[in-house]
Amino acid sequence: MLSIHALYKSYQYDDVRQTVLDGLHFEMQPASSVALLGDSGSGKSTLLHLIAGIDRPDKGQIEFAGQAIHAAPEARLAEIRRAQMSLVFQQFHLITTLSVRDNIRFQAALCQRLDSEYEVELIDRLSLDAQLDKYPHQLSRGQQQRVAIARSLLHRPQLVLADEPTGNLDEASSLEVMGLFTDLVNAAGSALLMVTHSRAMAEFMDRRVLLRDGQLKESE
Amino acid sequence: MNLGFAWLMKALLSHYWRHPWQTLFLLVGLIAGVGLWSAVQIINEHAEASYRDARNLLGTQASHWIRPRRDQGIDESLYIELRRAGFRQVFPLIELQVSTGDGLSIEVIATDLMALPLDSIEGDLLDGDFSTSWLEFVQPPFRAWVPAVLATELGISEGDQIELRDGRRLPPALIQTREQQGRRVLVDIGAAQYLSASTKLSYLAVGQIKPREVQRLRQFLPADIELVENQQHLDLEQLTQSLHSHLTAMSLLSFAVGLFIVFNAVRFSLWYRRATLLDLRLMGCDLRLLIVAILLETLVWSLLGTLLGFAIGILIAQFLLPGLGASLQSLYNASVDGELGLSWLTLFKAWVITLGGLAWALFWPLLRQLRRASLQAASSDTLRRDEQKGRRQLAFFALLLLLFAGMGYARIETANQGFIVLGLLLFAAAWLLPLILASVLRIVGQLLPQRRLLARWMLFDGWSQLPVFRSAMMALLLALTANLGVTTLVDSFRSAFVGWLELRQSADLYLHAPNLDYEQLHTAGINENWLVDSHERIGITTRWRGRPTLVRGADTRAPDSLVFPLSKWQGDRPEDARRAWRERSNTILINEQVHFLAGVEIGEVIELETDNGAQKYEVVGVFYDYGNPYFQFYLPDQVVASQWDHHYSRGIALWLNQENTAAMQQAETSLHALGAQPGDWISQAQMRRLSVGIFDRTFAVTAAMNALTMLVAAIALLASLLAILQERLPQFAQWRALGVRQVEFLLLIALPLLLFCSIVWVLSIPLGALLSWILIDKLNIVSFGWSMPLMWQFAPAVELGVVILSICGFTLLVVFLQTRRQVSRALAQLGETV
Repeated sequence: MLSIHALYKSYQYDDVRQTVLDGLHFEMQPASSVALLGDSGSGKSTLLHLIAGIDRPDKGQIEFAGQAIHAAPEARLAEIRRAQMSLVFQQFHLITTLSVRDNIRFQAALCQRLDSEYEVELIDRLSLDAQLDKYPHQLSRGQQQRVAIARSLLHRPQLVLADEPTGNLDEASSLEVMGLFTDLVNAAGSALLMVTHSRAMAEFMDRRVLLRDGQLKESE
Repeated sequence: MNLGFAWLMKALLSHYWRHPWQTLFLLVGLIAGVGLWSAVQIINEHAEASYRDARNLLGTQASHWIRPRRDQGIDESLYIELRRAGFRQVFPLIELQVSTGDGLSIEVIATDLMALPLDSIEGDLLDGDFSTSWLEFVQPPFRAWVPAVLATELGISEGDQIELRDGRRLPPALIQTREQQGRRVLVDIGAAQYLSASTKLSYLAVGQIKPREVQRLRQFLPADIELVENQQHLDLEQLTQSLHSHLTAMSLLSFAVGLFIVFNAVRFSLWYRRATLLDLRLMGCDLRLLIVAILLETLVWSLLGTLLGFAIGILIAQFLLPGLGASLQSLYNASVDGELGLSWLTLFKAWVITLGGLAWALFWPLLRQLRRASLQAASSDTLRRDEQKGRRQLAFFALLLLLFAGMGYARIETANQGFIVLGLLLFAAAWLLPLILASVLRIVGQLLPQRRLLARWMLFDGWSQLPVFRSAMMALLLALTANLGVTTLVDSFRSAFVGWLELRQSADLYLHAPNLDYEQLHTAGINENWLVDSHERIGITTRWRGRPTLVRGADTRAPDSLVFPLSKWQGDRPEDARRAWRERSNTILINEQVHFLAGVEIGEVIELETDNGAQKYEVVGVFYDYGNPYFQFYLPDQVVASQWDHHYSRGIALWLNQENTAAMQQAETSLHALGAQPGDWISQAQMRRLSVGIFDRTFAVTAAMNALTMLVAAIALLASLLAILQERLPQFAQWRALGVRQVEFLLLIALPLLLFCSIVWVLSIPLGALLSWILIDKLNIVSFGWSMPLMWQFAPAVELGVVILSICGFTLLVVFLQTRRQVSRALAQLGETV
């Protein structure tokens, strides 16, 4: 489903050019889950952004569901992100001016894949029933992350990209949210690629890979 | 519109619902800008429509006038003879200038309604209740149709009789506004003849007439009566063009200042929504769809802003129109109706300009926002670098504008070109401002000693406030500069005008009574010891180089001729030119309008058509002629009398015996005794009061526009401060948690604000002086042909400084109260955990 070949990416910082990804290869099957581990600054988030088409590689190929992400025009990338992917971030990225209910429905509404039954199920599983008419700033961080998870799954994407989704939560909340998240992703039949620092969080995934020196290696 | 797009619009527009302050400021900016612009546009278009209708007299097309060559009036017998000869389109008119008991001058126009050519009547003269009121109009005691605006001004109601200065009364008033009546009171010809105690007509108007008939009509006219084509609409359009250009320029400036508020509001709406825009892109909204959504949002705002702004514009126009209408009447004899006519075209133009302004205000921030494609790009460091880059880009464009302004300055030949150069200069100054503010911040920061930590903190916080204040400071600079520039222009003009009036109106009484024997009056005055000197002025009205022109004949021995104020002269001293003019019959004095607008220079020989053929005169002097839109020449009276058979008297000036305290009373008694009516003369004091009154009324519009523009700039400042508060609330809460006191918060916000305002105020002083210099040195000259010395005073700058301080004080108070409330709430949220 996701296939990456000889991927290169570097950044220019003043006079220094820093290589982040150095000929990286990676494969991922549908409905599987992978934890992407690595030190700070190793390029984990960069890889996620390249897969999502938010950033462009210097060289190499990224193929997702038969589509060349590395070469797709911006409009096509937007279409793919909208209908076939979803992103979950540490900072939640909720639309502050919309209610919780509208935030949950938003991406599904964009790709016209609203499913009322599944919406009720998600809301129920994530215990958001009492929060639907509130606005994001009226929720705790844990609740905000649950809203972000509901939003990311309602349109049943093929791939969920998560960047430290529980990085803003305490340990107990993290474990609870992560358990729910992986259950729901599995139930939706989506694949999950998650960037994390935490070994404990990585244990929720089928596979764990380590990003070091611009290359990916399988990790235990 | 599909469901996805509807959700996208919902996400974007929900911002305004959740942030009503921003919505309010965006609307206020739009309404203020559009309101001021459309007010002037409505007035201009209304006035221009009135000029176009100048051919239309009391609802009837007047293609020609039958006028006396002299000021003797037209005998009623000629009118009767023409009607009997089959000229049914000829109708009589009497125009009278009368003074009310309160000294207010009003114009009365009279005609015979029964004689109006009915087949060519347009408009509303015969509409409505005419059938019931016309009998009252034509029969004693008659009726005076008083326009509603004038009735309000005079404080009269239906049936009241306007009392004149000599105790006579006009017929009972019927208050109604009719097309082309303007501010004039309409009465029946019989009532006017009774009022003027004369059967003479002022002139005759000719309705639609075939060219062949014109020739036949001309044959009926005696030598001292002429048939002239009605060119009033063309003359008015030409003469008032500059005045309307000035008004348009002021309205565009107000619009620009309003736009800065919009720019600020849009900037904040995008700033607040940058996370939303990023999320939308992450969720797969493509750029083109986002641009379409934001353009649609722009469209919605433009429609809302236009409709509300236009409604406010109508109110402002209604407020400004009476004063401006009175000025147009006084200066150009232009009749502008008191009732506004609105057109869809004006509304459409208002929408186009609003949409254009909004697109401009949106384009720059939108472009920058959309360039931030990745998450890293939205970091504060990138924003800071963007800000720095933005300042440099603005400064670069400002330098380009300055270059264009410099190149354009030497080529200014029309008012519009002048305003383009002024606009370039003003915007160059505004666009340079962010760089100047940043540079001053940096320099002051370097000068502050290291140990003054708190002061350094407060000063450096200015860097965070600078992007927010940028637009408001630009708006303030424009408003202050325009205010100072225009105030200096008006003060300089007023001073030059009053000084000129003192020289030109040195006589104590001015009398214009064509039927009076001036010789007899002079003899009586000398014998009775109330008169020292008197001199009659004669003249002819003609056209020269396509423009209405007066050729005046003055007595070269008259006291005011001896000190004729000249702006340019032949020889070493003005006296040399005046002497040459007195002594050489082939010399002429021209007004500044002839010099500047027709390009005639000292020493040049000009040719005038006289009754004895074309005559050549050498220009020896250029005289100031403020307030006059026409070309004007001065020749010795004997030259005018010898060259133009049909010259007419323009009245007589009387210099009273200053040692005789009862001279004025004696003069008035003599004038009465010789048959003059009270409206026939005017004293020097009354004339000056009238002239200065017209001047002040004309510039009252300017003062009102200035005040409104300052108000708009003040709103921009308040909007910025409130935006800072909203934007930095979490930061303020954190500082509060560190123990920062309320007063320190106030200082933190106030110090950069006061520093920025002070810099803007200081910059506005030389800029205002430059603006006034260009207005006086170039624009007034190419527009009106009036030159005057620049009179710079520091007092208006100080007054504006106080105004800025007051605005700052008020806005700081509002923000302080908001801070107390909101920071406490934000502080409570700081400790919230999962």
